[in-house]
Amino acid sequence: MRWLRRLWQKSLTEKRLDSELQFHLEQQIAGYIASGLTPDEARRRACIEFGGLERFKEECREARWENHLDILARDFRVALRGLAKDRRFAFIAIFALALGIGASTAIFSVVDNALLEPFPYKDSRYLVTIRLHDKDQVDHWRGAFLFAEFQELMKQNHVFDAMVANLTDDIVYAAGDGNLRLAGNYVTPGTFEFFGVPPFLGRSLEAADYQPGAPPVFVLRHAAWVGKFNSDPSLIGKTFALNGVVRTLVGVTAPRFAWGGVDFWMPRSPDEPKLLSRDFPNYWGVVAHLKPGVSADEATADLAVIAQRLSTVYPKEYPKHFAMEVLSFSSAVLSPRFRNSLYIFLAAVGLLLLIGCGNVANLLLVRATAREKEFALRSALGASRFRLVRQLLVESFLLGVSGATLGILFAWAGVKTIAAVIPDFTIASETVIQMNWTVLLFALVVGIGTVFLFGLVPALQASRCDLSDSLRDTGKGVAGTAGRAGVRNAVIVLEVALSLTLLFTAGLFVRSFIALQEVPLGLQVDHVLTARIPLPPERYKTAAQLTSFYRPLLARLKSVPGIASAAETSTLPPYGGVRSEVEVPGKAHTEKWDTLFQLCSEGYFSVLRIQFLDGRPFTEAEVNDARKVAVINQTFRRRYFGNENPIGRSIHLKELKEFPDSLSEPWFEIIGVVADARNQGLQDPLWPEVWIPYTVTGSFMRGILVRTTNEPKSMIKAVGHEIWATDQSVAMAQPETLEYFLNLFTFAQPRFGLWLVTIFAAIGLVLVTIGVYSVIEYTTSRRTHEIGIRLALGAARADVLKMVLRKGLYLLLTGIVIGLSLSFALSRVLVSQLWGVSPYDRLTSIAVAGLLLLVGLIACWIPARRATRVNPSTALRYE
Amino acid sequence: MPQEKVEFLKGTLDMLILKVVAAGPIHGYAISQRIQQISRDFFQVPQGSLYPALHRLEEQDWLEAQWKDTSTGREAKFYTLTRKGRKQLETEVSNWERLSDAVALILRTAE
Repeated sequence: MRWLRRLWQKSLTEKRLDSELQFHLEQQIAGYIASGLTPDEARRRACIEFGGLERFKEECREARWENHLDILARDFRVALRGLAKDRRFAFIAIFALALGIGASTAIFSVVDNALLEPFPYKDSRYLVTIRLHDKDQVDHWRGAFLFAEFQELMKQNHVFDAMVANLTDDIVYAAGDGNLRLAGNYVTPGTFEFFGVPPFLGRSLEAADYQPGAPPVFVLRHAAWVGKFNSDPSLIGKTFALNGVVRTLVGVTAPRFAWGGVDFWMPRSPDEPKLLSRDFPNYWGVVAHLKPGVSADEATADLAVIAQRLSTVYPKEYPKHFAMEVLSFSSAVLSPRFRNSLYIFLAAVGLLLLIGCGNVANLLLVRATAREKEFALRSALGASRFRLVRQLLVESFLLGVSGATLGILFAWAGVKTIAAVIPDFTIASETVIQMNWTVLLFALVVGIGTVFLFGLVPALQASRCDLSDSLRDTGKGVAGTAGRAGVRNAVIVLEVALSLTLLFTAGLFVRSFIALQEVPLGLQVDHVLTARIPLPPERYKTAAQLTSFYRPLLARLKSVPGIASAAETSTLPPYGGVRSEVEVPGKAHTEKWDTLFQLCSEGYFSVLRIQFLDGRPFTEAEVNDARKVAVINQTFRRRYFGNENPIGRSIHLKELKEFPDSLSEPWFEIIGVVADARNQGLQDPLWPEVWIPYTVTGSFMRGILVRTTNEPKSMIKAVGHEIWATDQSVAMAQPETLEYFLNLFTFAQPRFGLWLVTIFAAIGLVLVTIGVYSVIEYTTSRRTHEIGIRLALGAARADVLKMVLRKGLYLLLTGIVIGLSLSFALSRVLVSQLWGVSPYDRLTSIAVAGLLLLVGLIACWIPARRATRVNPSTALRYE
Repeated sequence: MPQEKVEFLKGTLDMLILKVVAAGPIHGYAISQRIQQISRDFFQVPQGSLYPALHRLEEQDWLEAQWKDTSTGREAKFYTLTRKGRKQLETEVSNWERLSDAVALILRTAE
């Protein structure tokens, strides 16, 4: 460690060197005295002989490695001084670099986590889900299968290594002090081996657990264990009453294991299906592991054959024209709208990195041109090329490292922010958004690479160009050599074009978000509380049993102070109901007529404030007697009745025949027509819709809608209490305000997209402003001499201003024209992301072009104005 | 007193220093004296060559140095040979012998 000590004790080393040489000198003097000289003479001779003491010292120093550090330190000092002198340049370059690196890394990380590697599962690239497509209808498919279908698929396929299935069910956990509603999954044998994620605590489900007669067990999800059971490790081995079955907790999954997005997993065993809370046909979600070398297309072809066979066995389950579809795991889990947004952001961020690096490159080129003379001079004075390169490398290093450090900071903050604001249900629940270090490294390499590459330009020039030319060129009247000026201008034009593309995209997002928020819902969502109420299946099967719960509950709720009205519902607006084929007597038609239907109580329309156009709502008596009456919406009337009066007419809802607690004659008499309220979300066209009394069948999942007079969330406890008072074995699931759900399902994703794109566009705009400013500033400063002459010869300041601005305007306009064509070409890709606005929206394009022009001109105007303030006499002397 | 300046052949100074130091701990002044004495004033070691050479050899770990009191009670830097240095010396000496033999052979026989 001697070398290290020496580094810190440089002064000591220096002192020792002194005293060593001093000692030698003294010995020499002593020697001469001994040989008979006088002390003065001896000293004189010794000193002469010794010669240039400092030179020896320097030679001794150079023998030691730490002195190379000294030279390097000197380079650093020079570089720091140079950058400090050009502070504006340094800050802008560092900032541009950091923005480019930070923004691109942050978004790349999100895309990578959410899209490319979202799952912690073994071989997740080979995992696929299967769904059945109805070819006669747009976007109509079923992604789950009867258990028998699943078994056949497993037996007959030639393309999968393994297949597993799961079935989600609402489970009421009877804790000592009340009920807790959990989401559970029944899973098939081999599920945990299939995913290959070792448990966090205890064990996973094993083959023996699936055997008939095996003791009931379950595995808890890590998030549920932390959130609902206080991370208590002593729970392993304890028993829990789940839907009336006493199950032993055998393990807690690894934190990211979230298959099915439920709270816990139970083995499916043959005697279990009867425990389910609903007993209409159960559909199992299916995942499969592709055999190595089998493509998704080959798998699709193989399954098509099996599906053809299955459609003859289960004709009711298959539409007329259908196709099997094999989807990679990530594409099946990630909502397609959001996936497209992510790709767009990915492109946007690539552009940002480009713009950021372009800026840095331009700044360095500008600086290189300004320093051409300095380097020519240094070269002429004998500085070796190596020395010049080293000096520049040190400078680039300082810029690069500062930019990179700030960039890492930006990236870190960006990832944290995005992870915090990403809306629920837009990405797989297994996904963990965190910094991707490979991507960070990539951005750093690109960024720092740019700095080093363009930072070395002056050294290359110095060694290449004719020295005397450079020295004679005093920078007067020449705005850099033509070739390099061309490169600089091209970079600026490109930056303007790219930034315009970003701004245009952001503008379209803003417009479409505004359009989305202005969609008339047709119902009032404020002050409405909603909750699903899963009922224990063994006691609530028939319509009468269901009514025996809801009738007293609704009566109780209405009497609670703070509750204006309450209703039963089978779905949550703005999404409506179950699809069914519908028949209207006296109406002949060739194509299939479809409608949505909902089961509700008489209070439904007043809770949601849906307007009646014709007829009347249900009466309490009609609901309680399960009379077969119906209310239809305006779209239904227009589509299936035209101009005829529908009141008093009958309709036939075929689907109601298919469910366990079915109606043999599902004919309903229309008693009212309501105004259209959104029932396919905000963006998709309305469907015909029918409401019928909830008391006609015991099937389907139900919940309540409650209109409150005060803050709806404050009523959650009171509502929960009334439910408990009605039946102590029942608990409500997900009590929330209707506004919250509306926000979550309809606005959250577009808002997220909007924010991201806007941030990108803002960063892009900042970078472009920097770029335009730096180039105009530089060219103007190079022309100070020329401007001085013009002013001295009597040019008006306005002329000078115009001259500088013209140059900027030319660059900006070229960029804007290119950018607009680029935007229009790209916006075709955007169509799926937009709503209520054309991808070629004129207002948006004019607005962003105007904004860019304005900002760009301000960036030009600052140096232009400075140029006009030049005092001619200083300018003429200026170099 | 120096009669005429004799240039060291490249590398020979290092070898001579190593050889002198091999005899035991010795300081810089004494090294120059020893070389001058043994060569009967043929070699004058200028300080400008001696000290950079000493520092270079130390940097290469062939020599190591210690500050000790001299007989006069003055502190001086004493150099000793390291194991690496001893090996280096052996190599250099054998190289030198082969070189001088070869040179001598040519001088004797090429006439």
